[in-house]
Amino acid sequence: MIREFNLIDVYYLLLAARWTLALTGIAFLGGGLVGMIVAVMRVSPFAPLRLASTLFVNVVQGIPLLAWLFVFFFGLPILAGVRISPWTAAIAAYAIYAGAFLGEIWRGCLQAIPRQQWEAGAALALSFGEQLYYIIVPQAIRIAVPPTVGFLVQLIKNTSLAAVIGFVELTREGQLTNAATYQPFTVYIVVAAIYFAMCFPLTQWSRRLERTLRVAR
Amino acid sequence: MSLVELDGVVKRFGDLTVLDRVDLRIEPREIIAVIGRSGSGKSTMLRCINGLEPIQEGRILFDGITVNDPITDLRKLRQRVGIVFQSYNLFPHLSVERNITLAPRVVKGMKDDAARRLAESALARVGLADKIDAYPDELSGGQQQRVAIARSLAMQPQLMLFDEITSALDPELTGEVLKVLEQVAREGMTMMLVTHEIGFARRVATRLIFMHQGRIWEQGRANEVLESPRTPELATFLEAVLH
Amino acid sequence: MRYVFNFRDVWAQWDFIASGVAVTIALTIATVIAGSMIGALGAAARVYGPPWMRSLVACYVECIRNTPLIVQLFIVFFGLPSAGLRLDAMPAAMIALTINLGAYATEIIRAGIEAVPRAQIEAGRSLGLSGVQVFRHVVLMPALRIVYPALTAQFVLVMLATSIVSQISAPDLFHVASIIQSRTFRDFEIYAVVAAIYLALAVVLKFAFAAIGHLAFARR
Repeated sequence: MIREFNLIDVYYLLLAARWTLALTGIAFLGGGLVGMIVAVMRVSPFAPLRLASTLFVNVVQGIPLLAWLFVFFFGLPILAGVRISPWTAAIAAYAIYAGAFLGEIWRGCLQAIPRQQWEAGAALALSFGEQLYYIIVPQAIRIAVPPTVGFLVQLIKNTSLAAVIGFVELTREGQLTNAATYQPFTVYIVVAAIYFAMCFPLTQWSRRLERTLRVAR
Repeated sequence: MSLVELDGVVKRFGDLTVLDRVDLRIEPREIIAVIGRSGSGKSTMLRCINGLEPIQEGRILFDGITVNDPITDLRKLRQRVGIVFQSYNLFPHLSVERNITLAPRVVKGMKDDAARRLAESALARVGLADKIDAYPDELSGGQQQRVAIARSLAMQPQLMLFDEITSALDPELTGEVLKVLEQVAREGMTMMLVTHEIGFARRVATRLIFMHQGRIWEQGRANEVLESPRTPELATFLEAVLH
Repeated sequence: MRYVFNFRDVWAQWDFIASGVAVTIALTIATVIAGSMIGALGAAARVYGPPWMRSLVACYVECIRNTPLIVQLFIVFFGLPSAGLRLDAMPAAMIALTINLGAYATEIIRAGIEAVPRAQIEAGRSLGLSGVQVFRHVVLMPALRIVYPALTAQFVLVMLATSIVSQISAPDLFHVASIIQSRTFRDFEIYAVVAAIYLALAVVLKFAFAAIGHLAFARR
């Protein structure tokens, strides 16, 4: 039974957008944790750690997100031995994926701090961890904010792929609405508009932050 | 036993030999000035003494501890050897007080009020007591360098290394820094300075070393070495520098 | 219950997999060529065009960059027919991917153009070159050299993003994977194999672009 597309549908789409934001938030937190570890490993003085994190980043970034979602969705419950819900697996996929990208971004920010700052800390008898915590990271955070906000935009868009494994966020809700109303053009334009409303302010904010940073230098 | 001993030290960067079998003894309370052309290895030699640069052959001893031994705890060593760099390397996100008290608090576990008193006395020694809460970007080059000296002194080292600390300063600012160095020398610190300030070396140094192509080419009392160079390399160098 | 991994069923379909790889590669190459051209035009319009043109391109870029590719794909494939334009899966995929790359390429190339020092352009003009000639010889090539790494990184992303066209049943590698999955029920194995193939493609592509870069931008 096909029905008309009306404001109720828009309302339900907006409700589904909450799940988009929720998934983004969780992925960002999980990915942030992974990213911090990856970035620190990359700048550590131990070559095996550096190699491992470089390998991790290149492998994760060299495989499409869709493939990761499916591999985790089907593979993790099997490989883990214990029962893992598919949703947990999908969120793990997003966390790993975001972790690799954030790790790269943050690694760049850590490496942007001049080598002499590390040396000055070492000369004062600070350990690697103390140099990182007291001297390098506080300076790197300032540089890291604009690209991290920019990545948040990527993450919001990437959650659209969760629809493919059945997660009901904005895009999936769009597919369901389309199945009910047979108005694909209208439905998907509205879906796009809602994504735009979520992403565009963040994009602008990231640009503004970058401008302030460039002026401050 | 000398405070610092270098025995047959060889350091290479890839194919380039930067230190070519260097032997050196430093006794307590000595003020050693190291001069030479760029590339002669003087800064590298300095940086090897506190382990910032590894060496390929030879041995470096500080107060009996082998610096280049992999199992040596460099953190403990660096609490006793201070170094001041050409580009000051102050921490821009920390105030002057925090710059000075960071290592005492974090490495030695000093409490905040004791640390602040330490910062105050260190700054008094370099003549910047009123700048204790300022940030590095509010200070001139000479002031920043003096804060860098105070920062190293605050750890109460037995040996202070200075790597061309006035080379990056505008000429009118070097005087204030050199005055601080003289003061520190008067207080009995053992110091090794890589420097271009020949006049300062003549006035303050107890020994002058001229390095050339990675080796100690000439050394002795400052006046003697400068007045009567025994090798043509030193003579040429002095002519170029003292024109 | 121990799960037994069985890759043999998957390998048995290697020719089907190969056809998927071929489609993925073809789609990537076509998109890269068309998308770069749009990018160069868009960047030129953005830098040299009249205000209305600049706003138009800016609108295009912002709309594409702030919405997901899959939604753009759905609009082209499912949405356009209601506006009268019915498309097959492959053409729709190409169009959506090209429009998508075009927006990112516009921004990247624009950054390159703006990075060319003004003095170069003035030198070109004083030598008597026309505006278009200055653009072609003095601006565009140096700009491309500057942004070549960023641009080729985006191309690799395009190759990975082609997996999304599987959702409109375009016969790319990922779509092949889902068909094999339904035939053999080897869920994990097929996607693991396909993931490895994408990784191999990405590595090969990066090397290829690096090699092309050395050849194209060698000192002459």
